[in-house]
Amino acid sequence: MSDSDAALVARTLGGDLGAYAGLMARYRDKFGGYAFHMLGNREDAQEAMQDSFVRAYRGLGACRQPDRFGAWLFRILVNRCRTVRRRLQRDRRFDADLPDDIAAGGSRPDSFEWRDEIGQALGRLRPHYREAFLLRYVEGLEYSEMSEMTGAKEPALRMRVKRASDQLRELLRDVHAG
Amino acid sequence: MPAEHDDRIDDEVLQRVVAELRRPVRLDPTVDQRALEEIGSEAAGWPASRHGHRWGAWLAGGAIAAGLLLALLPGSGPREPATAVAPAAPAPTAGGRPIYLRLEAPTSSRVAVVGDFNDWDPAATPLRPAGDDGTWVVELRLKPGRYHYTFLIDGRRWERDPSEPPAAESDFGAPVSVLTVS
Repeated sequence: MSDSDAALVARTLGGDLGAYAGLMARYRDKFGGYAFHMLGNREDAQEAMQDSFVRAYRGLGACRQPDRFGAWLFRILVNRCRTVRRRLQRDRRFDADLPDDIAAGGSRPDSFEWRDEIGQALGRLRPHYREAFLLRYVEGLEYSEMSEMTGAKEPALRMRVKRASDQLRELLRDVHAG
Repeated sequence: MPAEHDDRIDDEVLQRVVAELRRPVRLDPTVDQRALEEIGSEAAGWPASRHGHRWGAWLAGGAIAAGLLLALLPGSGPREPATAVAPAAPAPTAGGRPIYLRLEAPTSSRVAVVGDFNDWDPAATPLRPAGDDGTWVVELRLKPGRYHYTFLIDGRRWERDPSEPPAAESDFGAPVSVLTVS
């Protein structure tokens, strides 16, 4: 049976880097999807993941519930994705976000596969909408957990999820039907 | 954990989207290796006596009467230290304005400050006793900007600086303050 998170955290705090390697291997792919979908490409997702691992290691003494290390690491990753996203936006490497009211017609290339279409549609959402949608429906968090993690109030998060859902539905309906 | 059901997706398009997004995404395993290299290079640079500080214990317990004060050094701005204390040697941060941190922690054996300005390295910026009254001080040199930071007491407990506003969000989920240097 594999060691628990709490056991690996305790060994890491005792100076065992191998234990921390075990934690990273456990969560790299588990959380990789979130970083990938938030940032839109593997390279930036890996940068965010690596940076999160380093920051988590530095701050491990602040992990008050080592048996919930994964949730604590995920919170760090969510914040790192925000930071990387802001940098990408400054560097103009992201497509322009959609306005609240969108017209999907005419902006969608027909040749992409469904997965590519989803990635493109996600990339066109406002970052807060994308973040809320992923946290809610892909990661399966409760709104209270999302609120604690993001600092946003629950009504605002519900609005963001709804906006994201509406926009994704609009952007992808024709592709899905085709 | 499962999502609440009040906004369950009943739309076929979104159901397919979510199913697709839940498929595993494999990242390059060298992510771990690069993180370890970065961590290892830091650990290799620590004095042996500090290694135990970093990993010595958990955040927990131990009430400490800590009155914290941050002020700009005389002549550098409107805020002054409440009492005259000998400043510690400037911390090895690059250039910028002198910022004076002070902590009253008479029962502590060691105090450090960790923040954006020192990559949250517990060994980088220790405070030093300023006298016999339990006051700890350090001088930073910070360029204009916003910095998240907190105090690390006895290598295990984080204590936010109450004289500066709390951060709205903290990577670590621990109490952190925001310092704005103009």
